[in-house]
Amino acid sequence: MARVNNWQLGREMSYWYPESRPDKQFAAVFDINKCIACQTCTLACKTTWTSGKGQEYMLWNNVETKPYGFYPLGWDLKLLEMLDGQKWDQSGEKPVYGGSTIFESAPAGERVLGWRPEEEDYAYPNVGEDDCAGQIDGGTSFQMPHMAWFYYLARICNHCTYPACLAACPRGSIYKRPEDGIVLVDQGRCRGYQECVRGCPYKKVFFNPMSGTSEKCIACYPKMEQGLQPQCFVNCIGKIRMAGWISKPEEAREDNPIDYLVHVRKIALPLFPQFGLEPNVYYIPPIHVPTSFTRQMFGPGVDDAIAAYKKAMSEGDDDLAGLLGLFGSTEEVMSRWTRNGETITGFNDKGEEAVRVPLREPVNIRPAYDKLYQITRVNCP
Amino acid sequence: MKTLFKLTVVCMIAVAVLAACRSRTISPSEVVAVTGQTITDDPAAGVWWGLPYHPAKLILQDLVEPRLMEPSTQEVEVTAMTDGKTVAFRLEWIDDSQDDLPGPQKFIDGCAVQLPQKMETNVPAPQMGEDAKTVEIAYWRADWQAIVDGRVDEITSLYPNASVDHYPFRAESLKKDPKAQGEMEQRYAPARRLGNSRSGPRKQPVEDMLAEGPGTLTRTNAVSRGRGVKTPKGWAVVIIRPLPEGISVQKGTNIAFAVWQGARRETGARKMRTGWIPLILKEPGK
Repeated sequence: MARVNNWQLGREMSYWYPESRPDKQFAAVFDINKCIACQTCTLACKTTWTSGKGQEYMLWNNVETKPYGFYPLGWDLKLLEMLDGQKWDQSGEKPVYGGSTIFESAPAGERVLGWRPEEEDYAYPNVGEDDCAGQIDGGTSFQMPHMAWFYYLARICNHCTYPACLAACPRGSIYKRPEDGIVLVDQGRCRGYQECVRGCPYKKVFFNPMSGTSEKCIACYPKMEQGLQPQCFVNCIGKIRMAGWISKPEEAREDNPIDYLVHVRKIALPLFPQFGLEPNVYYIPPIHVPTSFTRQMFGPGVDDAIAAYKKAMSEGDDDLAGLLGLFGSTEEVMSRWTRNGETITGFNDKGEEAVRVPLREPVNIRPAYDKLYQITRVNCP
Repeated sequence: MKTLFKLTVVCMIAVAVLAACRSRTISPSEVVAVTGQTITDDPAAGVWWGLPYHPAKLILQDLVEPRLMEPSTQEVEVTAMTDGKTVAFRLEWIDDSQDDLPGPQKFIDGCAVQLPQKMETNVPAPQMGEDAKTVEIAYWRADWQAIVDGRVDEITSLYPNASVDHYPFRAESLKKDPKAQGEMEQRYAPARRLGNSRSGPRKQPVEDMLAEGPGTLTRTNAVSRGRGVKTPKGWAVVIIRPLPEGISVQKGTNIAFAVWQGARRETGARKMRTGWIPLILKEPGK
């Protein structure tokens, strides 16, 4: 194994191949606080890519209710049980992961520590939907964080910097594109060994029994190549998603939307960084959930991320609040943004203006009684 | 009276089979392809019982990751014949279950025959060959056999109770245009569109490949054929391929075998295999 740098762990780690970062890395930020689990993203993906034979059960994009929702069943719990330690050393300037990654924990004869879901584990795509973490009794009033909670976790392939699917494939059928970091299964080369299914801790590679090959999210690369965000992003009703490009921390640019959220303000965090894949989908953690839970899922930065996110609105953090307003505002990929007073502007890969949004949406309050039509209306905020 | 007659016939067949089994000769150290035979792809053909068989011991693939950590199939029984142009190998091994339905976490029974591409003194590494020392592999799979035997190319063949709301290529608007329908279907089947031999309907349960080391399998021109049947104890498979160039009664080559048990989740590199075994040609009765 080679030694590579994983900035999410704050240290080097072992990986099957030497470090080879792409020219640009596809990345995304999902704001969990805005997701309503309408599954429009799931259907947008399904109808675009997985409507064929053998793809019936596949959800390259899914939204599950945490803590009791999974697709496939127990995808995260199973590996968390297998992975020892998972302690973070927070005594220094930056947190350093002190446990072992799935590459460092690979048992004899294996390339990564992994497991394969059983067929039945795919049978309940929305198990645990809206199930609360605790009982809500009569007379209960909610405080923050909620004592009984759930939240929606939208998931796609993380197009990891160190993909476990790629490391696990014994015949090199999975590759990471040097031009954008998107991870793909070569459908001409794959022989359906399902080693990638076993290796991916997020269980985002699916075996197609009709084609005999494994298939996965392709980050809608034909769209990304045209500077357009993937289908699950642009169809998102809650406008929770933003796709773009992420830099290494030492090369982060404040005017790059993804860099700003991940590296500068650190409010968007990776999913299970302790697995060691350096995943490139980042989540703004839910603010109402006890951080004892979300810290395991998003790493040690959760408390600071929530604090910064809350301040964006309550204390007039106009840059952060403004950038969050660009989510879901355009189909184009924004590689640069600016705020000029009350106006936030997003620019595409060519440097052209893609969209302009106000810092605050104008609010109009109508009188309840409409004199013109002589009727009374109910105002909904 | 009818029952008595049937019983007599069954007994006669059983006695004949037992007699044939007793008369089979074992070739303990080499695979013998008997010359001058009429090639058959029928694993149950009587001709096989008159030919010497080699009990090839299988060992774990434990050289490259992912490895097989626990041994499964212990032995594959190999019988061979040739007509001077092609050579047929009959492989038989014990396997309790029939695994020919692909799916998530479901794997397929299979076997393979491997020969060096060139007859050289220095043979390639037995583990799939090595750089510039190519091996030829003929690979049989139980799911391909099921397809050749008539399994329909529909999800209901794998999951009989499956219910599909809609396939875009089955839209009413496309029904009058099979070409457009086929093109639409391939949009959702990239492996088929790319001609991946793992994928889709097929006419042969055997695939020809070349390799120059682990992880280098490449499809090559289809020259082999075969047929496999489930026996009460396991599988019996015949793989027929061209006779290796340069082989003769005077000069043999090497051969290796591999077996996968789907129920043991064996796939790809997770397999039981042999090292090189001498392959010789021998005239009948000699």
